[in-house]
Amino acid sequence: MQVYSGLATSHGIAIGISRKILREPLEIKQTSITPDEITRELQRFEAGVESIILELDELIKLYSHSRDNRDILTTHKMILMDPEFLIRVRTKITKELFTTEHAIQQHFAEVVELFQKMDNEYFAQRSADYKDVSDRLLSHLLNKSSDSLDSIEAGTIIISDTISPSLLSRLIQQNIGGLCLERGTRNSHSSIIARSMNVPMIINVPQVSTEFADGQMMILDGNTGTVILHPDEATLQEYQKKLTQQQHRRDKLQEMLYESAVTSDGHPVILRSNIEIPEEMTAVLDANSDGIGLFRTEFLFMGSNHLPSEQEQYNMYRSIAEQAAPHSVTIRTIDVGGDKLSALLNLDRESNPNLGCRGIRLSFAKEEVFRVQIRAVLRANITGSIKLMFPMISGIGEFRKVKDIIVQCGAELDDRGEPWRMPDLGVMIEVPSAALTADVLAKEVAFMSIGTNDLVQYTLAVDRDNDMVEAYYQTAHPAVLRLIEHTAQQAAAHNIPVAVCGEMAGDPRYLPLLLGLGVTELSVSPSRILTLKQQIRAISYHHWKLVAKEVLSLATARDVEERITKEGSYDSLR
Amino acid sequence: MIRKRITITNPLGLHARPATMLVKLATKFRSEFHIRKDDMVINGKSIMGVMTLAAEYGSELEIIADGVDETFLINEITELFQTNFGE
Repeated sequence: MQVYSGLATSHGIAIGISRKILREPLEIKQTSITPDEITRELQRFEAGVESIILELDELIKLYSHSRDNRDILTTHKMILMDPEFLIRVRTKITKELFTTEHAIQQHFAEVVELFQKMDNEYFAQRSADYKDVSDRLLSHLLNKSSDSLDSIEAGTIIISDTISPSLLSRLIQQNIGGLCLERGTRNSHSSIIARSMNVPMIINVPQVSTEFADGQMMILDGNTGTVILHPDEATLQEYQKKLTQQQHRRDKLQEMLYESAVTSDGHPVILRSNIEIPEEMTAVLDANSDGIGLFRTEFLFMGSNHLPSEQEQYNMYRSIAEQAAPHSVTIRTIDVGGDKLSALLNLDRESNPNLGCRGIRLSFAKEEVFRVQIRAVLRANITGSIKLMFPMISGIGEFRKVKDIIVQCGAELDDRGEPWRMPDLGVMIEVPSAALTADVLAKEVAFMSIGTNDLVQYTLAVDRDNDMVEAYYQTAHPAVLRLIEHTAQQAAAHNIPVAVCGEMAGDPRYLPLLLGLGVTELSVSPSRILTLKQQIRAISYHHWKLVAKEVLSLATARDVEERITKEGSYDSLR
Repeated sequence: MIRKRITITNPLGLHARPATMLVKLATKFRSEFHIRKDDMVINGKSIMGVMTLAAEYGSELEIIADGVDETFLINEITELFQTNFGE
């Protein structure tokens, strides 16, 4: 028996026989382009480099405890940011009319040759770094997919270096047990899909390619990140038991599927799904939720090699709206900081991106990109089931400006003779100033959705990604709860719905409290829907209204935690 | 333009980590930055360039900066070499 540890990006336990999916050779079919394709190739190149840099940034963060790994990844990042590299590849594309892939391959081949000619062995070995970066970039650009996987049996544990979202979706249809990967990132498309489909996935297990083989008995413990190869009898039995319990819990949850989300005293709650990519629609439908409460559109922009066109966006929004029917789909316009999209949008770096040009501000700064998205949404809404909301609104001024732009976009579509329909317009409440002026906003918007992650960050002035101030990030801080309560009261006074779509909504500790504070809708990952429904059916709304009232006058986050822990209603659900 | 001669004193030479640190630092400045070793001159803001120098312990280099902040660049780069890249 061998035990390895990695990073679990999707929870759950799986026991099964391994199947190794080998990395396909990077075969470049097309090597040359015509002069009118130069611009497009250059864009693909820049976007490809940008994506890999983001991927590396995420990995560097992940390896904050391991200097060696971090150093290697930083070197890889510098290789991609190298001005000589960028210039040489661009020249190969523009002057020699190479495809991006061919240009990159040629460039790195030249570099590797240079290194291999050196007499110093250490430096000669550095060619491996360049090979690695080159492979990473090429597999991203070639977006490989695989075939001959039809023979995979249900329950199989897939082992591989990395996995593409399309391949993963296909494997999930074949009911695989779980995945164990050499590389990956917590927030990659594949991790998101695995999470929403409840398929255990463990990444960053470096031994996969060397020590793992086909046909081995394996256990994945996605709750701890443990991978066990050739388990002994005792371990196997222990995990069989855990698996049975897991299955039992899931069966129990399935009983919730057609129940309605109503508290024990008859108060109805609307439960919607958060999604980031269209592939998650399967999970949404499986969970039978009340449609989509948050479709984060930034992935459309970040996962792509170019800015998605109006038609591409229209097709996607339309398809999601049709799949979600008869329920509604709330689309949030692009919500990223300029730091994440600098290559696609030609932006300067900011010294303080969290307080900088992000969310709606970025959309105003790049209005043409924003208008493309708006027009696509207006057109996709001919069925009338799309709602549109805007991130990082600090007050009514931005909302009015957005409305003007939308009216203009409608007029443009009229000129083009395209049919369209005005969606319900709402705002994210995530900046304290918006929560404090919820009374003003509620008069003009059709709905409000509280993004608790950012609301906590901005209310308490705590950077979520800074470990040094982690202790100050207190979801249950009375200041945060008061802002939520104020927003909910104002929404009720103006008869509009108020949702919570942050992590707080999916957390069983806080869910009853949110309802008590007056929140009417919750939007969570599709994998959480049934669990929340089960909890909602077990609690009393009137009781939690009283608890909420009490909690609002408490002094500290700790007092709040202690008070709600006393209720104990979530213990069995964590 | 400023030129300055430097000898590599860290035992492993300009391997991946120091090279990364060097490039990272140089990129912060606006001046052009080159490094010469024997008859080879490379762009000091290019990791590929710096690593292809294969500068080992004892190698003699010339660092060359040209631009508005050249003095600062040379001073900080020199300090990086003098502290042996924190190794």
